[in-house]
Amino acid sequence: MGLLSASDEAVLRQHLAAIDTPVSLLLFTQTIGGSESGPVARQVLGELAALNDKISVVEKNFVLDTEDRTAYGIEREPAIVVLRNGEDTRMRFLGAPTGYEFVPLVEAVLLAGTGKVELEPDSQTRLASVSAPMDIKVFSTPT
Amino acid sequence: MAFSNRHITATSVEATEFVDLSRKFRVTGVPKTIVNDRIEILGAVPEPEFIETALQTTEEPKT
Repeated sequence: MGLLSASDEAVLRQHLAAIDTPVSLLLFTQTIGGSESGPVARQVLGELAALNDKISVVEKNFVLDTEDRTAYGIEREPAIVVLRNGEDTRMRFLGAPTGYEFVPLVEAVLLAGTGKVELEPDSQTRLASVSAPMDIKVFSTPT
Repeated sequence: MAFSNRHITATSVEATEFVDLSRKFRVTGVPKTIVNDRIEILGAVPEPEFIETALQTTEEPKT
């Protein structure tokens, strides 16, 4: 049984129609001894990707794909990396994006797929001044 | 923010799943944002305030 209802799918499909650039979701999971939420993350991404043909899911093995882990700075699993046309958007998700976590995932996919930044012009000007690495972690829960 | 500047990386962390990280950054309520492992932003704050607080990490420490 799917995680998304038919009505959820219809609404999402409408929103995702704005995507004009391919979005890849790299999913890092560990098959043996991995987190129990890995399969849930896989299902969520699969159902999301099924709603728009510009969204694809690329599976990465957390244990074996060490080069990719290093390239994207992945230290835990399940982890999701959002790519726009193959390029890193530096947007990541740790854990299965269910419940309230699902909305930020959809927003990240829309941002990657449309390139439309929703930040205020002043905010964008301030952010342009950042010239050193900035790591932002946002902790949230599904419920 | 991450999309707007190539120096910024943003990770959404499921707090109950990564208990080690939640403990490390003393997450007792959500949302809680940690910038460069030292600046804390509690709750959902207005965008200008969020950005100003986050940018404190890029400023030189006062001597």
